Amino acid sequence: MYSPEFERDACGIGFVANIKGNKSHQNVSDALTVLENMAHRGACGCESNTGDGAGLMIQTPHEFFFDECIKLGVHLPSFGKYGVGVIFFPREIRLREECRDIFNRSAEKLGLEILVYRKVPVNTEGIGFTALSVEPEMEQVFIACPDHITNPDDFERKLFILRNYASHTINNTVRKDQIGFYVASLSYKTVVYKGQLTSNQVRNYFPDLNNKRVVSAFGLVHSRFATNTFPSWKLAQPFRFIAHNGEINTLQGNINWLKTSEKGFISQFFSKEEMELLLPIVTQGQSDSACLDNIIELLALSGRSLPHVMMMLIPEAWDGNEQMPPLKKAFYEYHACLMEPWDGPASISFTDGKIIGATLDRNGLRPSRYCVTSDDRVIMASETGVLPVDPAMIIEKGRLQPGKMFVVDMEQGRIISDDEIKQTICSQKPYSEWLNKYKIRLEELPEPRVLFTHLEHDQIFKYQKAFGYSTEDLDTIIAPMAIDGKEPIGSMGTDIPLAVLSDQPQHLTSYFKQLFAQVTNPPIDPIRERLVMSLATFAGNNGNLLEEDPLASHCVALQHPVLTNHELEKIRSIDTGIFQAKTLQTYFRADNKEGSLQKALARLCRYAVDAVEDGFEVLILSDRAIDSDHAPIPSLLAVSAVHHHLIRKGLRGQVGLVVEAGDVWEVHHFACLIAFGATAINPYLAISSIRDMKLNGKMQTNQDTEELKKNYIKAVCDGLLKVFSKMGISTLQSYQGAQIFEIIGLHKDVVDRYFTGAISRIEGMGLDEIARETLAKHYFAFSQKDVPSDRLTVGGIYQWKRKGEFHLFNPQTIHLLQYSTRTNDYNTFKKYSKLVNDQGEKAVTLRSLFSFKHNRPSISIDEVEPAENIYKRFASGAMSFGSISWEAHTTLAIAMNRLGGKSNTGEGGEDPVRYVRLENGDYMRSAIKQVASARFGVTSQYLTEADELQIKMAQGAKPGEGGQLPGHKVDDWIGRTRHSTPGVGLISPPPHHDIYSIEDLAQLIFDLKNANRDARINVKLVSKAGVGTIAAGVAKAKADVILISGFDGGTGASPVSSIKHAGLPWELGLAESHQTLVKNKLRSRVVLQADGQMKTGRDIAVATLLGAEEWGVATAALVVEGCIMMRKCHLNTCPVGVATQDTELRKRFTGDADHVVNFFKFITQEFREIMAELGYRTVEEMVGQVDGLELRENINHWKYKKLDLAPILYKEPAADSTGLYKMEEQDHGIEGVLDWKLLEAAQPAILNKQKVKAAFPIKNTDRTTGTILSNEITKKYKGEGLPDGTINYKLTGTAGQSFGAFNTKGVTLELEGDANDYFGKGLSGARLIVYPPKQASYVPEENILIGNTAFYGATAGESFIRGKAGERFGVRNSGARVVVEGVGDHGCEYMTGGLVVILGETGRNFAAGMSGGIAYVYDVRGRFSSMCNTEMVDLDPLDEEDVMELKQMLRKHFDYTGSTVAKFVLDDIENQTRNFIKVFPKDYKKVMAATRMAPLLK
Amino acid sequence: MGKPTGFLEHTRELPSKRPARERLNDFKEFVEKYPEPKLNQQSARCMNCGIPFCHSGCPLGNVIPEFNDAVFRQSWQEAYDILSSTNNFPEFTGRICPAPCESACVLGINQPPVAIEEIEKHIIEIAFDKGFVKAREPKVRTGKKVAVIGSGPAGLAAAAQLNYAGHLVTVFERDDAAGGLLRYGIPDFKLEKWVIDRRIKLMEEEGIVFKCNANVGVDIRINDLLREYHSIVLAGGSTIPRNLDIPGRELKGVHFAMEFLTQQNKRVSNKTVNGDDILATGKNVVVIGGGDTGSDCVGTSNRHGAASVTQFELLPKPPNERTAIMPWPTYPMVLK
Repeated sequence: MYSPEFERDACGIGFVANIKGNKSHQNVSDALTVLENMAHRGACGCESNTGDGAGLMIQTPHEFFFDECIKLGVHLPSFGKYGVGVIFFPREIRLREECRDIFNRSAEKLGLEILVYRKVPVNTEGIGFTALSVEPEMEQVFIACPDHITNPDDFERKLFILRNYASHTINNTVRKDQIGFYVASLSYKTVVYKGQLTSNQVRNYFPDLNNKRVVSAFGLVHSRFATNTFPSWKLAQPFRFIAHNGEINTLQGNINWLKTSEKGFISQFFSKEEMELLLPIVTQGQSDSACLDNIIELLALSGRSLPHVMMMLIPEAWDGNEQMPPLKKAFYEYHACLMEPWDGPASISFTDGKIIGATLDRNGLRPSRYCVTSDDRVIMASETGVLPVDPAMIIEKGRLQPGKMFVVDMEQGRIISDDEIKQTICSQKPYSEWLNKYKIRLEELPEPRVLFTHLEHDQIFKYQKAFGYSTEDLDTIIAPMAIDGKEPIGSMGTDIPLAVLSDQPQHLTSYFKQLFAQVTNPPIDPIRERLVMSLATFAGNNGNLLEEDPLASHCVALQHPVLTNHELEKIRSIDTGIFQAKTLQTYFRADNKEGSLQKALARLCRYAVDAVEDGFEVLILSDRAIDSDHAPIPSLLAVSAVHHHLIRKGLRGQVGLVVEAGDVWEVHHFACLIAFGATAINPYLAISSIRDMKLNGKMQTNQDTEELKKNYIKAVCDGLLKVFSKMGISTLQSYQGAQIFEIIGLHKDVVDRYFTGAISRIEGMGLDEIARETLAKHYFAFSQKDVPSDRLTVGGIYQWKRKGEFHLFNPQTIHLLQYSTRTNDYNTFKKYSKLVNDQGEKAVTLRSLFSFKHNRPSISIDEVEPAENIYKRFASGAMSFGSISWEAHTTLAIAMNRLGGKSNTGEGGEDPVRYVRLENGDYMRSAIKQVASARFGVTSQYLTEADELQIKMAQGAKPGEGGQLPGHKVDDWIGRTRHSTPGVGLISPPPHHDIYSIEDLAQLIFDLKNANRDARINVKLVSKAGVGTIAAGVAKAKADVILISGFDGGTGASPVSSIKHAGLPWELGLAESHQTLVKNKLRSRVVLQADGQMKTGRDIAVATLLGAEEWGVATAALVVEGCIMMRKCHLNTCPVGVATQDTELRKRFTGDADHVVNFFKFITQEFREIMAELGYRTVEEMVGQVDGLELRENINHWKYKKLDLAPILYKEPAADSTGLYKMEEQDHGIEGVLDWKLLEAAQPAILNKQKVKAAFPIKNTDRTTGTILSNEITKKYKGEGLPDGTINYKLTGTAGQSFGAFNTKGVTLELEGDANDYFGKGLSGARLIVYPPKQASYVPEENILIGNTAFYGATAGESFIRGKAGERFGVRNSGARVVVEGVGDHGCEYMTGGLVVILGETGRNFAAGMSGGIAYVYDVRGRFSSMCNTEMVDLDPLDEEDVMELKQMLRKHFDYTGSTVAKFVLDDIENQTRNFIKVFPKDYKKVMAATRMAPLLK
Repeated sequence: MGKPTGFLEHTRELPSKRPARERLNDFKEFVEKYPEPKLNQQSARCMNCGIPFCHSGCPLGNVIPEFNDAVFRQSWQEAYDILSSTNNFPEFTGRICPAPCESACVLGINQPPVAIEEIEKHIIEIAFDKGFVKAREPKVRTGKKVAVIGSGPAGLAAAAQLNYAGHLVTVFERDDAAGGLLRYGIPDFKLEKWVIDRRIKLMEEEGIVFKCNANVGVDIRINDLLREYHSIVLAGGSTIPRNLDIPGRELKGVHFAMEFLTQQNKRVSNKTVNGDDILATGKNVVVIGGGDTGSDCVGTSNRHGAASVTQFELLPKPPNERTAIMPWPTYPMVLK
């Protein structure tokens, strides 16, 4: 099930450059040192000496090449008069020479003379077998510049044509082996040395790089951490123009848009013939970064400057940014008409050989630190401290801010600031004039020619039936959206059949599952970080990408994609003289004949092409015209068919596609349509339904129809932002056409033709089946047999209904499960499991389509390993104390402990009371401690008290989303456990703010392993296409356990559309993960666990055969405790005391640990019976034996008989030596860490609480400092820690990531130097002090001292930082008290407690989602209020108490760090107090006021 | 939907009943209607469960949470539409159904269940009062004719559904009026007969033909039916009582319940009573059997003015509440 397109990578990047352009070998060597010091950011696969890739780009070392070529008997012309290419040839000689011949002929055809080929000397010593198995033959080709070309840039373009043309030709003609043909670079200016190496191997592998004559003004390096381990040399970076740390989430869409505009490319720099040789610009089978490099190259070589290109592709967040200068905004807005952002987290270093620079995506999700020295050097890298520099020589230390750029112009010999370079670029053309003249704004359009009258009740009713509305859709989805302006919330997962397995007619979008970000890139918080998000879009002709044509902005600008009827009519009537719209009808004949739908689609596509050729700029696809003979084409199918047809014809860029559809009402429908090409959507029937419900008294509200419609549109828009953001995409433009879905249940023919390029792995329905499903609804609406009493269908999706959709948890199964476990009656349990397992001729889950294959002799059950061995493989689900009651949570824990299985804290922390055994021997301690994005209660003690630490990357119910615990559920107890203020709501961010990429995950795993060496580290993933590749990456990041969760599980409250439409069944994810891990020989390093609606022993058996050796059960266990699937967990009204904190309702809890124990015994018994029947003695024997499954015989259902489940049942071939289950321990690499020295020195303190003092040097590769030490202290002294000041360490140098992570009370770390990201992560009571080196000459408060995301999830302790910190300072701080001299964007986000004093400026979006704690901000320039997100906080002056507190903190800050700012303020406190602003969360203020009043009232 | 916390604020309350002393004097129904706020409160108790066990417990599949919500919102037309979508005769079930829905009500796990049956009755009576209940003739007639034999609840429901589907339906009833058990089995104090008449009249307006005093196989030839109708529905009930073969069974004054109850129902309806009057007035009455029919006999005897009434039951006295062997959501055998 593995596919290379799922591969992702992330990495460390950096460069060393001489500002004046002075070339030296030192620059090359320094760059290699930078690379070597980022080894921990790269990865290696199953062998430690096979890396994921590393490389270096330098300027062409002319002197060196000249000498080398002389040896080959060739006299190179002068610099600039020849180009050098680095070619990876196949090793097989015949293939190689074939490639070479074609390359030579191509050069000849272009009039280029090849001077000589030089074999690149390499030293393969120490290179891993896997890498060597596909090592290419690397050669450098030297090509002379023809005499008639005088401009070197023109020559560069010729080389570009040669490379593309030759590569296309070779890849199309020469047989491909594993190595293939690849040109790493071809330029007169730059040359790339790279390969599938580790960071440390590059220097030795290429002897060239050690030659003193190899000189360059810069060295650009890249160290890769990939999810894949399949050897591929060409995926290493740098590419020709960039090194990229990040991920392009919208790649499929970007490539499609590029493809569609290619045919219209016209450039003054390339002739028509040359353009044809160049295309296609982006070829298949490359990584996202390589594709990005391709488009950058094209745009840069067709006349735009490199910074200009970067601004086009990775724009800042301009839409809605009030602080952005108009000039710049106009630039971005104009370019948005030409091209959508290539969206995703990105830190990119770029160079064209003359300038070198770096830029960061709008959200700043990758770190970039730089330092400028007095000898004209710039060192820029993902980390600081990667190149040792004398502190006295440092002039400036800084970081790249979100959306900003940093350029070193080596010809001008200076650094050009972001402001200057952008100012210059934005003034090149009168962009704002162009926009004013040509842009069509919807609000300014004249009134439409005609307007539809409102649909009347009877018509609406008929349309609702025809388009498949159920009463549930109206009551549960549309009405709440219209009343509250929000998507409705549900809970307890989903247990209905997959759309393709359902007997109820489905909406076509139900076959499309939303993809989401996990591990390789972060989801975004669309609410708290709204400023980076945009819904703006444009309908019209995109124009020619390669020229700057004012007319490109002649299109309709929309603020969001949802159109009211009035707005749609305006567009329909539009006529600017050169801009018109055309309506096309999307119906097919309702004759139930084969091929009718296909015919209709062909007609529609034909008409669309005609309309474009007739010069229309907008096509409106409308299904309003249906009647009894004509049924609507599902709007998603219609729009995607037209979209892809126009792409194939190269016409898509010339029109906007607007959809006028009756079958669009849920957020998911809108998202699907946009992702498959729609520009804007008019949901006329949903809007009419709202009006109709209002008129008929269905809406419990006083709001009028207009308000309700407005609310509904707002709910759709917010919902769309949520859908984009869960994939980490910020803008609608990038999402449009990005196809970020996996299709489950459509046939290849349909997908290839109408949803081209979308992921679909198990086949399914063809067009005729889709038509049949549509006609069922059409018949319901238009058939003559009109029964008088008539209601819409009941739905039954969100609530069990007798005539509705089938649910696995239904009245019968719930009753039998509860009854059997309460009475300890296995026979009754078997009745339950039969109802779940045996679906007869039907199917609900993918696993219900399988049957067991008896390919081994059955054995007696006595021969099967005992149940006791199996219990320990069970985990109960991760549910937090807070989401479920104390009673429900502890009952589960006690039961799991009795069995020897594992319960899970969920993300809500754990009350230390539970660490002590009860008198009767029961134990309420959860073996698994979850580490989720909010880090509630994640302290040194919490981590130390774990057998397993689970990093929740995503959860089945709402992968890619955060959560919220409303204030009314946070009582005293929960507040205490979560280290927050009772009564104040809590927000879980969508991403872990310390995991934006896979190397970050590796870092967190490392942190946790340091915090508790005995605990297994478990990474929880949700099933999705590509999860196997991610799992491989996670295994390489050294996880011990990987959990694959199904989309259907998950008990948590979440938007109903997420429960249903995001993520995939675990069968797919588990099979893919197991196969990929086996293929990579990584399977034996990790335990694979699966969960998601596991209900019976059969489910466990299927999971085992598909590759899981451990399993999680949550929902069923809750049912055993009394849950009756109210699905009201979010309302705190659970009537059986399970999911509530209401004291009265908690009394109604009747669950019993015995019942839960019975349940797991029953499941295990059933599982063992299956094992015996299939002939497996042990679980280990059974894991991954997928040939023990086959397809059921009686699959004749018209809808799913065409499903192809072979990919799931594929058994990855494995050698005898390849482990199929966890057999070996990961090497966590903590043997050599600095902490062992710290620990040794601390022995007197730990043994006798004696004070100790010591000093140590530190460097950036010393990561997670003090964490093992703290773990050892906690083991002995629990939460108490040691007395303050017991351990005092002084460290000198640059600290690596996670300095002071989870450090506990009694530890003081004083750092002279600087530090990287995650400083003070999870601080648990220690004191961290940091100040610049004493001999540094720069002004501390103006420079960056510590990296991003400092004090994330800190719960206690204090810290003093004499200098600035990066982005996201103090995110989710709940107790640390810190002083810092300036922070970046998103400071104090989601903070719930503690105190932050900021003696300098902050970035944007300060205090977003901040619900507790206090910040004092020193706002001398009076700019703070514009940088602060005041949705949840008040900005107050300091009162007396505050001043006391401030003074105390500043005094300490001065004493510890010698801060001059602190001194200045203290000396003038009377006057300076006025310059401080107190950031006081509103809810917190209320609760504090109430607490203060409480004693007075008594 | 409804009020999320309604079940925490209100407890179950049933409408008041007329005083027993007063009830003895007539055969009218004795359960009164809710005053307006009470009905709303009782509907607010519905929790709109993720799995509405009531909806599963109801043999008709009444969509109970939906109509409770409509009642809560006082959206009477909608409530009626929801109720009548699964139930042809809510005015009957609202009065005499044993309400397994209430046994299955989730709130009933640890609290008194929602008063579903009463809410049902109120919906339909309000719907009649407000004029929502109108004859709804099918728009299209199929031209097919169906004979339904028997006009008890099953025959009536079959007739109604077949008629809505567009067929022409004739109902044959051997008694003098339609309704079967409803008419002559259930005493008026539980179900007054105008309730049946009201429904039959509607059904006639919808196009159903009722032929009473038409005993198929006796008055009507089966071959005629087979010739005249495309389909025949057999919906005859059973009128064979369970005899108790013990010494003295043959003595005067020992009657089957149905003889006794049917006579009384006819008497209330001012119809001629066949045979000798069976009256309990002034007598010492023994009722054998502790079920619904037994209790109907007790009620009728008391209204006749019996000197004493003694009831026998074969089984031990059922418990007052559920026990472990009859767990929620099953229908419990408890003392009523």
